[in-house]
Amino acid sequence: MLPRSSDVIEVTRLTRSFSSRKGFLFQEKVATDALRGVDLTVHSGELFGLLGPNGAGKTTLTKILSTLLLPTSGTARVLGHDVSREGSAIRPLIGLVLGGERGLYNRVSGRENLRYFADLYGLPSRDVAPRIREVLDLVGLTEAADRRVEEYSRGMKQKLHLARGLLHRPPLLFLDEPTIGLDPRSARELRKLVRTLSSEGVTIFLTTHYMFEAEELCHRIGILARGQMVACDTPSGLQQLVGGEGTVEIESREFEDSELSRLRSLPGVSRLLQEPLGTHLRVTLRVRPGDWEPSSLSGALAAHPDLFVRERRTTLEDAYLDLVEQETAS
Amino acid sequence: MTSPPHPGLRGIRASLRLSLLSFVADPQWLIPSSIAPVIFALASFEMFRGSGPTLVLYAVLGASTMSMWGQTLYGSGWATGQDRFLGTLEPTLVAPTPYIYVVAGRVIWNVVTGLVGGVLVLGVVLWAYGQPLPLTNGLVFLALFLVLMGSLAAVGLLFTALFVYTRFSGFIQNVGEFSFYIISGAMFPVILLPFWVSPFSLAFPATWAVDALRYVGIPGYQGLPFGLMGDLLGTLGTSLAYLAVALGVFRWVEHHLLEAGTASDY
Repeated sequence: MLPRSSDVIEVTRLTRSFSSRKGFLFQEKVATDALRGVDLTVHSGELFGLLGPNGAGKTTLTKILSTLLLPTSGTARVLGHDVSREGSAIRPLIGLVLGGERGLYNRVSGRENLRYFADLYGLPSRDVAPRIREVLDLVGLTEAADRRVEEYSRGMKQKLHLARGLLHRPPLLFLDEPTIGLDPRSARELRKLVRTLSSEGVTIFLTTHYMFEAEELCHRIGILARGQMVACDTPSGLQQLVGGEGTVEIESREFEDSELSRLRSLPGVSRLLQEPLGTHLRVTLRVRPGDWEPSSLSGALAAHPDLFVRERRTTLEDAYLDLVEQETAS
Repeated sequence: MTSPPHPGLRGIRASLRLSLLSFVADPQWLIPSSIAPVIFALASFEMFRGSGPTLVLYAVLGASTMSMWGQTLYGSGWATGQDRFLGTLEPTLVAPTPYIYVVAGRVIWNVVTGLVGGVLVLGVVLWAYGQPLPLTNGLVFLALFLVLMGSLAAVGLLFTALFVYTRFSGFIQNVGEFSFYIISGAMFPVILLPFWVSPFSLAFPATWAVDALRYVGIPGYQGLPFGLMGDLLGTLGTSLAYLAVALGVFRWVEHHLLEAGTASDY
């Protein structure tokens, strides 16, 4: 039974630690905090995106919410049920799509993979074959349905993962990086499918690395960095966090420390970010338009040859990078 | 046909079907688990050759049991290891059907395919020695054989929980397989084993089941001192105990997997 509340996912001060051992003879126990007090709410019918760099805790959070992992502390309720104590009540109501090449029985066909999981999800026997045809058609795998999965491309496997997640018509679907490694066409098809599902009322919890994907698909986006939710808002709301600021990108082979210090102290510069770009380095300045004077740049980098400079609009990706950078720096 | 109402039956059915399809796709792993029983059967037969034709049955029965057990342990453990390797353990755990039923389906399948080893042993022994089986009460023998298969499945279920628990379970296969051959009486009569082995032997349901089969199949057989009914009760009691323990162990193992987050390790 679905909860009366319109909140499908309610997470409060959720933490999760993993312990591992390092060393050979004298092993030492090492604890890693994957989630550090996450609060989150996802509403019914929402397409919620979770963004974050590698190791931010996206998959850990997805696994806890889908009952594959127990939290260390805090609470998480999915469709009104507590994930720690009522996993068996949650499982029939959710679909989980973990991306990648793994997670399928390679020696049997796509149809047989679905048949197996249809039984595990308790689909009535008379509904199994028609429903499998339906989901295969939905993801565009009808023609390949009777081929062994080991002959599938990565994109086809990803579609089969999605078909499996949809088999039992769950009202809540978890998609963990569903387009990673897909060619642009397959990724676009998959995004189209996600939009269709969302328009049909399925609540979707999507994790992704791709900013444009989150911006294009999601009603709201949460940004996770080092196990903490550093921001959660609509795409335009997140953009407002750096709203009004401009962005200046400077590329060169290298920058002296003294040059970076000078750039940081220029009037109107609120933040400086560095990132490697092939054989070059890119320095991004976030600037307040009223205070920023473009000509000051030539003074700060007067002796620097081979500079490439451009000014552009601040994007959601910039907001994301700023938030992650702030969290990392803290 | 409607869907079985109980999630356990659905899980067992799904697992049996997938095991069959996987077997058809890749039947080669049946060969290694059939070789050892043939060798043991021929060795036992040579050792007891002078004792009369009933030894054919003794050897065939013991070797069949070994084959079914080897197949149960290797097949079910391997399938669970494959779940880790393929990454299918997580999607299976997140499905509403408890994982123990998926494993139960595999164990049943592997006990049944283990019969192939038994048939192979029979064929080799008959081909090599040409002795007819002295089987007199075929139907009772068949029924008891099914009981034996059930008892092996119960033990197999408990052992497979260890494969779910940890990926470092290769040693369980070796220890579990060869110690079973000896202490279950499949290879030698339990009575020939040292006294201190008896409690371990009697803790195995298959020890009782094999003894019951020998009572029925071998005229004048002198086995455990409890008689046929005692053997049947022993089989039933120990099998039920194994099933009950397996249920509890699986619950604990699943909880451990969710707590440790090791279901995706391989």
